[in-house]
Amino acid sequence: MAAAVTTRKGETYKESAKKKDVRLMNIEAAKAVADAIRTSLGPRGMDKMVAQADGEVIITNDGATILNKMRVEQPAAKMLVDLAKSQDVVAGDGTTSVTVLCGALLRKSLELLEKGVHPTVISDAFGRAADKAVEILTDSAIPVSIEDREALIRAANTSLSSKIISQNSSLISPMAVDCLLRILDPQRPDLLDLKDVKVVSKPGATIDDSEMVDGLVLDLKAAKAAAGPTRMENAKIALIQFQVSPPKTDIENNVIVSDYAQMDRILKEERNYILQMVKKIRASGANVLLIQKSILRDAVTDLSLHYLAKAKIMVVKDVEREDIEFISKTLHCLPIAHVDHMRAEKLGHAALVEEADLGKGGKVVKITGIEDKGRTATVLLRGSNKLALAEADRSLHDALCVVRCLVQKRYLIAGGGSPEMELSYQLSQWAKTLVGMESFCVRAFAEALEIIPYTLAENAGLNPIEIVTELRNHHASGRRHHGINVRKGATTDMLEENVVQPLLVTTSALSLATEAARLILKIDDVVPTR
Amino acid sequence: MAGAAGPQLQLHGERTSGQDVRQQNATAVLAVANILKTSLGPVGLDKMMVDDIGDVTITNDGATILKLLEVEHPAAKILVELAELQDQEVGDGTTSVVIVAAELLKRANELVRAKIHPTSIIGGYRLAMREACKYLQERLAIPTSALGAETLMAAAKTAMSSKIVGADSDFFGRLVVDAVTAVRSEDEFTGRVRYPVSAINILKAHGKSARDSRMLDGYALNLGRAAQGMPKSVKKVRIACLDMNLQKARMLFGVQVLVTDPKELELIRQREVDITRERIQKIIDAGANVILTTKGIDDTALKYFVEAGAIAARRVPKDDLRRVAKATGASIVMTLADMEGNETFDPANLGSAEEVVEESVADNDMLMIRGPKNTRAVTVLLRGANDYLLDEMDRSLHDAFCIVKRVLESGEVVPGGGAVEGALSVYLENFATTLGSREQMAIAEFADALLIIPKTLAVNAAKDATELVARLRAFHYTAQSKEGKEELARSGLDLVGGEIRDNIAAGVVEPALSKLKILQFATEAAITILRIDDLIRLEPEPQEGEE
Repeated sequence: MAAAVTTRKGETYKESAKKKDVRLMNIEAAKAVADAIRTSLGPRGMDKMVAQADGEVIITNDGATILNKMRVEQPAAKMLVDLAKSQDVVAGDGTTSVTVLCGALLRKSLELLEKGVHPTVISDAFGRAADKAVEILTDSAIPVSIEDREALIRAANTSLSSKIISQNSSLISPMAVDCLLRILDPQRPDLLDLKDVKVVSKPGATIDDSEMVDGLVLDLKAAKAAAGPTRMENAKIALIQFQVSPPKTDIENNVIVSDYAQMDRILKEERNYILQMVKKIRASGANVLLIQKSILRDAVTDLSLHYLAKAKIMVVKDVEREDIEFISKTLHCLPIAHVDHMRAEKLGHAALVEEADLGKGGKVVKITGIEDKGRTATVLLRGSNKLALAEADRSLHDALCVVRCLVQKRYLIAGGGSPEMELSYQLSQWAKTLVGMESFCVRAFAEALEIIPYTLAENAGLNPIEIVTELRNHHASGRRHHGINVRKGATTDMLEENVVQPLLVTTSALSLATEAARLILKIDDVVPTR
Repeated sequence: MAGAAGPQLQLHGERTSGQDVRQQNATAVLAVANILKTSLGPVGLDKMMVDDIGDVTITNDGATILKLLEVEHPAAKILVELAELQDQEVGDGTTSVVIVAAELLKRANELVRAKIHPTSIIGGYRLAMREACKYLQERLAIPTSALGAETLMAAAKTAMSSKIVGADSDFFGRLVVDAVTAVRSEDEFTGRVRYPVSAINILKAHGKSARDSRMLDGYALNLGRAAQGMPKSVKKVRIACLDMNLQKARMLFGVQVLVTDPKELELIRQREVDITRERIQKIIDAGANVILTTKGIDDTALKYFVEAGAIAARRVPKDDLRRVAKATGASIVMTLADMEGNETFDPANLGSAEEVVEESVADNDMLMIRGPKNTRAVTVLLRGANDYLLDEMDRSLHDAFCIVKRVLESGEVVPGGGAVEGALSVYLENFATTLGSREQMAIAEFADALLIIPKTLAVNAAKDATELVARLRAFHYTAQSKEGKEELARSGLDLVGGEIRDNIAAGVVEPALSKLKILQFATEAAITILRIDDLIRLEPEPQEGEE
């Protein structure tokens, strides 16, 4: 770290032309990425349409998704893509903000570099500024209890406001919160795995028809080739990993028939084999079978379906391997690997298993009234077209992540550009207490943060300069929760407007953006290797 | 590529953003809508489409035209999906929804160029759509109960007026209404009444004229009996629906037959035939005198049916079989195995009907199943000069089926012929002036955009669109502003006379649901496209191994 106060040597830096070019090139490339998704920020952000090479079209507002699909080539630009991804992993939301912020930091550092500040100094000062910023934010954050469902819903609302489904946020937000609360283990709140929330997307109907199912939804049909039952009350569910079909002989082995009587025997043997299996299944008391997909053998044959139908057992086949864990957790049943292991205690119990018709969207199997239900949640998402449905799925994921952030770090801060504005004000105050290049760089950092409110205002069709200066004024006079009210087109207190976001999203965005910017700053040469 | 420095974002593809992409999207969408424009309304014309292998489709149906167009532009594709969606949800109004969406987008694009931010336009459009839907439901929709039994006929006739069968709409209207009401069914668990259009079987046969189409009494299978020796008709039918092979029994894969004695060989062959014979005997013994199977029956096996005096049919399409089973109360049997491991045929699996007859219709043999136990399936036989005509009739009837179904299920209708659009346009314009916010412009444009429907209707009918639409608006303005003149809200265009008339009295009605969905879907699609300000087109990955 350059000791800014004691020695002033080495702080100014004359670069060689090449190093300057490399740095410039990197920064420009990263800035281009940030600019590309800037218009997607905030509740009035626009969408991007990405036509992929295979002809598939995606319309999205989610920063991480856009960057992921864009396939940028420049290495520095790729860093920004990775940056959005890490924000997605850590917080799940704020991916656009983190990229825009990083772009703004780089833009400011470019100005500093032109003034002759050494990149290392900029980098270190940015690091300290970011730490300070996180500190300031944490101090001013409002603690929230996870029992406070309303507060969680408000945070989810803010996250959804920029998405196409924002008008449905009154439905989706409580859904996200309830899902999380359901999978939350009060003993170990940190172990929150979003894999325990299963989202089944089915086209048809509208987003308003989406629902959180108290139970389990499988995107499968009941096998009814043999007119087996498609509805079962008081279900005893067996999750089986074996196949109810005749075993296949190995390729080289042959069964040799030399007498016509044997032909009947073979046919009869096959029937008996299946029949025995079905009898064992029935003996265990199971009346619903969920059969894992198998690539080696048919999971069921016409014959076995026929027998199962006669035994009044409902059959759902083609359960994916990766769903087995989720299902067994939800139904509180154990997967059964062999027919001899069929025992009553391994079965899951539910009040009703039925095949629900979703109109043109096809059919799903719904299991409701599960006894001893595990900590899982299922959401059935509906949407009028595939594009909207995919975007709704991504948006729901964001909302879930926001709530997860709140559970992990139980603090809320105001949204709508107010934390950035407050930080900008506080940091520039702090910069005044520092001396030397560092003070200069922290000031630049503080100014860079204003990009968020600036962009929010711009995207909302407001006058950005007017709004940002108005906000500066508010924050200087101590109204620290003032942000942009996009709906009214004015600056108001964000807490009163219920625009709140989890602390973790903003702090992680700040530190990740700063780190990425520092990394790019420090590169002074690109060496192509083969 | 990575060597070049510059502020440009380096992508493996092409990127258009800002106004460019909006312009591009609007142009693409308009191009699609313009193709459909001339098909709208009772005097709309048809399109003939020839695909790359020379197959010809002649149609007036918006969804069908778009499906065959193979649109490439991503924004235009959204429009194609929009038409499909409308087709799925309502079944009619596909042309209208595309035209409205394109018009909304065109106007939005002009507003953006006039420096209004897209988000304000989106907000305005949403608000306008919500207001319009509310107004439509509260003020314009008329419950069918208030209009009497002829409403269904009127709705069917309106739906068909633009199609090729429009000339005989009285005749086909009756046909459609009868067919749909015949398939009424109640959900056994929820008790909801449904009219499954899919239960209506449509058969097409060349020859005679369209007017000779008819609804057949019972369910018709488009195939004949399997052998000439079978009787032509059977009464007091016990019907068996099989989904299994009645061919010589073959051993499973992996089973080899090895014989040392040539006599044995003959025995084995005999046994193969006998296994099937025993199966057939079991079915016949159970009382079946009509046997339908989705799979094959060997010619050698047919003689057993002939001996028993039963009708057998092979290769029955599975969908047909399912409907027959439903209609006659039979259950489809896949195998004869029973719980003891033996083979038996349970008589409970048989369905019953009064009569099964083979009739010949236009050179084709058809098996007619008359008087099935629970009538739930209907067959409509279409006649016509050629394939194209028959296909188009099929599509038109499908639209009409859907419309009648919607009217029955939702129970509310609105006047057609541009009446709703005229009324909403006047209403929204007034509504816009009450707002002082930036959404006002967008709502006014939304109101104007709706007029594209009556305008296009008038243009297609070769009438003076400007004058007619102006008069339409005047009528609706009076209806909304003067007490006691509310009846005028039913005014719509009379495209033959070039007049404004009461379209409810004239029998031009549409289900309220159809209009509602047109508004919602068109607005949603326009907003989806409007929200896009960046289009990134990726190039395909270069193939491995290329230099």
